[in-house]
Amino acid sequence: MSDNILNYSLADFHFNDNPDVLSPPDDFEEWINHPKVSQCFSFFEQQLLEAPRVATRIHSNIDNKDHKIINLTSYNYLGLSTHPEVIQAAKEALDKYGLGSSGAPLLSGTFDIHIELANKLAEFKQKEDCLLYSSGFGGNIGAIQGIMRKGDIMILDEKCHRSLVDGGTLSGAKMLFFDHNSMESLEMMLEKSKGKRILVIIEGVYSMDGDLPKLPEIVELCEKYKAGIYIDEAHSTLMFGENGRGVAEHFGLEHKIGISFGTLSKSFGGVGGFVCTNKRLIRYLKGYSSPWNFSCAISPVISGGLIKALEVATRDSSLRDKLWENTAYLKKHLLEMELDLGDTESQVIPIIIGSSGEKLMNYAAQMQLRGLFLQPVDFPAVPAHSRRFRISASSQLTKQEMDETLNIIEDVIAKGDSK
Amino acid sequence: MNKEKIIEVIKKNIVENLDDLENQEIDPQKSMKEYGANSLDIIEVVSCSMRELNIKIPRAELAEIQNIDQLADKFVEYISK
Repeated sequence: MSDNILNYSLADFHFNDNPDVLSPPDDFEEWINHPKVSQCFSFFEQQLLEAPRVATRIHSNIDNKDHKIINLTSYNYLGLSTHPEVIQAAKEALDKYGLGSSGAPLLSGTFDIHIELANKLAEFKQKEDCLLYSSGFGGNIGAIQGIMRKGDIMILDEKCHRSLVDGGTLSGAKMLFFDHNSMESLEMMLEKSKGKRILVIIEGVYSMDGDLPKLPEIVELCEKYKAGIYIDEAHSTLMFGENGRGVAEHFGLEHKIGISFGTLSKSFGGVGGFVCTNKRLIRYLKGYSSPWNFSCAISPVISGGLIKALEVATRDSSLRDKLWENTAYLKKHLLEMELDLGDTESQVIPIIIGSSGEKLMNYAAQMQLRGLFLQPVDFPAVPAHSRRFRISASSQLTKQEMDETLNIIEDVIAKGDSK
Repeated sequence: MNKEKIIEVIKKNIVENLDDLENQEIDPQKSMKEYGANSLDIIEVVSCSMRELNIKIPRAELAEIQNIDQLADKFVEYISK
């Protein structure tokens, strides 16, 4: 292993043959403790020293010093986690309810503030009802596991998030994956699943590529084969559509979506997940969705902040207008540098570097020491031939911060690639 | 171990991990996807086969492989190292 140590990744140590169940695999320890691998992992779990604004400070693991930094990695797309009105609302909820819910929603963890948030989210998504989860990951797992059963078929875009796949595994349903955004591949899967209960699962914005689903074609195929649609709008809610309701609104197809999922941790600036669908299915989920039944309810402090975040983001379009203005500015100048941005159509902007993990880490270190916090995305999170950086654009970015960002990217990546 | 035996190991793991293939002949020129494997199934088949053959190949090096025969070639390369 030592001759090609950097070719190994977390994808290679899932199975564990160590007879001691309390130990990781022997070769995992050899790999993870190798100086070159340790250096790669030093990018992860770096400490933010202030709020996840665009202008923040981190304690860098690269030089072990504190740095002022432009943060393009946090998902605080609309700046709501640090919006003064949101913070005030959260403080008021803290004073009234205390820190936690002290119980699962079914028994004692449901507060009036949870019902208010769920009703507002259902109304916002134009669905009959909504179920809140204390984690976005747990919400996808819980919704899928609560709805699907052994003998059912899930047909997922191959780029769907891990939480959807894990929910499928837990449900016992058979999972088929169609080639990313390929309608030919989706139809082939639908054709061979005829006669079963079928749920087609897609995302609003694909999180590693920033592209959108081909929703009109997907809806047409699902109607033809009588399949339900589940859309995860984690990276699109509050940003896409005339009213910010997401990609389904953007395409004018909200009424065709059976189940709409969203996270509360990204554009909303809090934490949690929510699923919106018809009242009958929400009632059923309450009986069978384990992460809802057996987790402590979402914090009332977060819920108070989230109600205000929804209000701030939807009372006018100023935050999302600013986000799209900033996204367009960044993309225009990144394309002028002839960087590979894939097929992005959103505020998630990948800069695809290629197959060299060494180059990726080298660029990441240089950018960080220049003052740009842009985390590397390595295999197996993305394919081995398309390792990348991923910009999370934000409405908070000033022109000065964007220009500084572009200067750093040009010096490190664009000029580095041409060397 | 020669390539034919390696292909037999891979075929055995395909049949064990995928549904409804018990009496079907597996053609090494085809991909596992053509036999209904999803990406999780493929990880399982490759992992079981590597464990049985006592080799460890980085997943990153398997990304471009198109069919069962090419997978066997990659295994041969590592066994002979």
